[in-house]
Amino acid sequence: MDRIRFLNLKVNDAYTNMGVDEALAKGVGELRAPPTLRFYMWMPSAVTLGYFQSVEDEVNLDALKSFDFNLNRRISGGGAVLNSATGEITYSIVMRENDPRISKDPVESYHYLCQGIVEALGILGIKADFKPINDIVVAGKKISGNAQIRRYGAVLHHGTLLVDFDARQMFGVLKISKEKLSDKMIQQAEDRVTTIRRLLGRPIGFPEVRDALEAGYSKALDAELMRGELTPAEQGYVAEFRKRYASPEWIYRR
Amino acid sequence: MKRFEYKVPGGKLVRAKLEIEGGAISFIQLTGDFFMLPETHLEELEAKLTGSPADPSAIEGTVAGFFAARGTTMAGVSPADFAYVIVQALRA
Repeated sequence: MDRIRFLNLKVNDAYTNMGVDEALAKGVGELRAPPTLRFYMWMPSAVTLGYFQSVEDEVNLDALKSFDFNLNRRISGGGAVLNSATGEITYSIVMRENDPRISKDPVESYHYLCQGIVEALGILGIKADFKPINDIVVAGKKISGNAQIRRYGAVLHHGTLLVDFDARQMFGVLKISKEKLSDKMIQQAEDRVTTIRRLLGRPIGFPEVRDALEAGYSKALDAELMRGELTPAEQGYVAEFRKRYASPEWIYRR
Repeated sequence: MKRFEYKVPGGKLVRAKLEIEGGAISFIQLTGDFFMLPETHLEELEAKLTGSPADPSAIEGTVAGFFAARGTTMAGVSPADFAYVIVQALRA
């Protein structure tokens, strides 16, 4: 059975979180680190834009300020998300780009690296499906969004799994529609997403979700997850990358 | 600023924002929730289009030729979608 380094759930701010993901890609790509799975959460909450999105199109900056959330930009493409401090677990998985498990086809590699989430939801009693290109859905409603990049010779796949959901926060900070935020609009948008707590009908705690994710990824990757930490070299990369992620030049580049 | 926004059926959202001066594109920005590898190709395309004639068939040729020559990988959007959005923004 393969072994994968596992960095257990930690809470950081947006810029450190993105710095760690890129540090993992660099470490794994340079063969200085083994394939790695990481779970993480966010404090404070942050709106995270995809690489190709513009701040003005996606973010209500007044609402963001009123909630004291951070504004953040990924190196990966895809859509804007609210990385809520209280509503989700995020994860990243990093492998070498030439790993035989990684398809050259983007949708196939999304499918493969999303299977851990599908398995984790199955363990919790929720039947979920991968929906191309990069979503996981339950009965047609989105519960997880994912994004990938290939850089430094590595594939970095990161995504979010919704545990709970505050529609007023999410649709207050994200410009989902040009229409003025109304209860009706929230209702319609809410119908397109779902959460673990809603599906289970109970206030499931984060430790139980975390355990299911660990078991789900171990099964999907057919690998033993070995608890580990960032190496000193990776910690050096995090410090370097964090400065870029926190800079206005990066955040407002589009 | 001229703008056009297009949701690719079964794919992602693409927006073009551009300005024209003297029959040429003086500013262009392409944004959206699509995926492109390597990411830098989008900025290279914007740079290539800046200063080029604001002519639909020329733009279609430039966009198709750019991506074909570089072998860009994309998901949720195609070279033809980018050309379509830019041409529609010209007419906006």
